Amino acid sequence: MNMSVRNSENTRIVDIAGDVDLSGTPQLRKLLFEALKESPKVVINLTAIRYIDSSGIAVMIEALKESQRLKRQFVLYGMNSRVHDVFKLTHVMQIFQVVETEEQALAAGNSHAGGGD
Amino acid sequence: MPYKEQLVRDPVPATELYFEARIVISTDVRILAAMRHTIGDLTAVLGWNDTESQAITLAVEEALTNKIRHAYRNRPDGRIQFEFRTEPDALVFLLTDQGEPPDPAKICAQRDSMQVGGLGTHIMKDVMDKVVYRTTEEGNQVILTKHLPKNTNAPGGPR
Repeated sequence: MNMSVRNSENTRIVDIAGDVDLSGTPQLRKLLFEALKESPKVVINLTAIRYIDSSGIAVMIEALKESQRLKRQFVLYGMNSRVHDVFKLTHVMQIFQVVETEEQALAAGNSHAGGGD
Repeated sequence: MPYKEQLVRDPVPATELYFEARIVISTDVRILAAMRHTIGDLTAVLGWNDTESQAITLAVEEALTNKIRHAYRNRPDGRIQFEFRTEPDALVFLLTDQGEPPDPAKICAQRDSMQVGGLGTHIMKDVMDKVVYRTTEEGNQVILTKHLPKNTNAPGGPR
């Protein structure tokens, strides 16, 4: 798994690529928590994820909870079918704010509309 | 032609297949990618489509991950015996560890969507047709069973 962070005005954009499994999720958790501490809005780019397991979903839930605790905005975008299937299997889709594109993610307000199944 | 695509295009009739393997793997998390490839290729040969194959691969990896995280508490020096075999109508995975036994109260306990724990056991239960946990003299075992697909891509058509 590869992870990197970009800045766009007051937003941190975290790009995640490759296979998200237990071999990389502790580092991903640390990165997301740091981004949430430093910025009022964190956007996660899921486009290049080939595989995600429950440890990856668990980190996303933990980051969402941390965003609520710190009153930050946490938005996911670029959910491909493989990632979508795992979010659906774990019944967590509705708790996240999910949009399709980076532009939508950057423009998204704190509506917490969720992506739905 | 990509290797996996070739596997799907040139399948052996599932009725004629008998697959059995038994390996011992270490609990270093870096082995998970190799196990995913093995399970993905196996399920493709047996006729599952991409989506089903990915779901089975995920479920089996969740069983492995649970053993690494809970039985061995993320230690990389544990051992898991990983076995699979085909039965006339099913593919069966048997995973055995000698670590700490699972807490029955936590297996598939009710969870809400904001809860972090228990995701893996729910995936296993939702994807596989049967999931059995047991403790034997050999260790803690989880047995995952998935019925073979009704319509294989094998010559000869539906089973």
